[in-house]
Amino acid sequence: MIFAHTLSSRISGIIGSAAIVLLLAGCDIDGGDNLPRVPDQGLFMLADANRHEGDDSAQVAAAVFNDGEPVNLVGGDLFEARTATERVLLKKGGPVEGSYAASLPIDGSVQDVFLDVVHLPVEAREDRWYPIDLLNTDPGPGELVGKSAIVSFPPAVTITAPLPDAVYTSISDVIDINWDPVSEGDLMRILAAVECTDGLATSSYGVVVDNEVQLDMNLDDGNEVISLDKFIYDENVGSGVLKFISDAALVLLQELLNQLSAGNIDPDFLLKTREANPIESTCEIRLFLQRQRPGQFDVAFDDGRVTGSSSAELTVIYLPPVPDN
Amino acid sequence: MTFISVCRWQLFTMLVIFISFTIHADNQQIDGNLLLTGMDAGSTDNFKSGRAISLHYNYYFNNWLAADAGLLLTGKTLEESSEDIVGDYRTNIQTQALLLGVKPRYRLDSPYEFYGRLGLQYWRTELEVEEYFGPGIPEGSSSATDTGYGYYLGLGVAHYVTEKFIVLFELSHFKQLDVFEGDTAYPFDLAINAFSIGVGYRF
Repeated sequence: MIFAHTLSSRISGIIGSAAIVLLLAGCDIDGGDNLPRVPDQGLFMLADANRHEGDDSAQVAAAVFNDGEPVNLVGGDLFEARTATERVLLKKGGPVEGSYAASLPIDGSVQDVFLDVVHLPVEAREDRWYPIDLLNTDPGPGELVGKSAIVSFPPAVTITAPLPDAVYTSISDVIDINWDPVSEGDLMRILAAVECTDGLATSSYGVVVDNEVQLDMNLDDGNEVISLDKFIYDENVGSGVLKFISDAALVLLQELLNQLSAGNIDPDFLLKTREANPIESTCEIRLFLQRQRPGQFDVAFDDGRVTGSSSAELTVIYLPPVPDN
Repeated sequence: MTFISVCRWQLFTMLVIFISFTIHADNQQIDGNLLLTGMDAGSTDNFKSGRAISLHYNYYFNNWLAADAGLLLTGKTLEESSEDIVGDYRTNIQTQALLLGVKPRYRLDSPYEFYGRLGLQYWRTELEVEEYFGPGIPEGSSSATDTGYGYYLGLGVAHYVTEKFIVLFELSHFKQLDVFEGDTAYPFDLAINAFSIGVGYRF
């Protein structure tokens, strides 16, 4: 089944967006509201495999929801992501409940990633210290075992402007992002990891700029002009313009940051409660421009959002205005 | 059974026979000890502290060296519960060991002596794992037992309440090697570190 938004999922998306805006009106950033927008009924698959520029591994994140609730894979069931030559088990739980993530080694020739739910009672326990092949209570495969999805990577993203470390001094400034368009029907979006410091305290959080936040953002036309208030907010006013990452992208971006920092990133970087007010702080904004290509998922799923993506990174700096004396 | 393990077993048996034929009614000691133990399987295990008892028989060849034969019995030691992608799990471990070695000592002019223990152990260890997967999925437990060899070390101080009765304080280290070797691709060495207090009787 080729992925396509159904009417019901569009309605769910609109309702979900409204809910998120309401939830974020109070400007709280925590993990409690990080359920992705999934339908209330049916079996829903969420997955993304992202290949970042220059990286020799892809970040893979996946989750399954049943009637809107995340399904925990237990008892030896787990996601397996594989290419023609490599394979990895998604053992790490993501910030989103019921999500799983891993890095999958790839090279430039890899185009497709196969995702399967498998039952591997010994391999699933490999992080335990005791003899897992000798002492193992195997409840047998769960209902999701055998279900699968496949995603393909779109062409790589090449950002041509602005220059790295470009400085902005007002949230009404705009970032004029340019990239080499491919125009093969792929969808574009931006994920951002923002870290701010006012000299005493810090804030870190993740935001997404997609078609719901900015009209026509998803077009692969080579240019997007985005206001800085999509990334920086004033906690005294609220953050109605921002859309904090709330679905598999959160897992994926956290995994990507972990990969890029060689494991030196806070595992809750994108979920931290803010302490410094971003608009009054110096902020480093890591922008990840992502080209997404819808994938295919098993007919056993009622609906899903399964994508392969390629990304490139650009860092810009926000410096707060100097207050008048 | 390998050639090496056969040799170990023969050596162990010969030592026991040797000790039994050389015992006579002087310069002997028995002691019983209560141990506070810490188990370490050398990996990410997280055992709680446990309890054990040990019994030792010593035959003194001379004023500073004795044969040491003993028995170690640990209680069931629980691990802290852990959670991973599979579910919740918790292990517990219990072991018994026969000890055979030597016990050098240094008797002070005061009613104290320092001593050490060094020897081999023949152990029997049982490991059990309980697993829980969540609502609707059957939970369960599984266990396995293994036997093998290892060594033990100890350092202690004894206080002579009288010339017959002794109070002992001791730090001990018991090492079981290659637990479940041959049964699994994931064998481990088990270390038991212990502090003990005991009483002894010289006769």
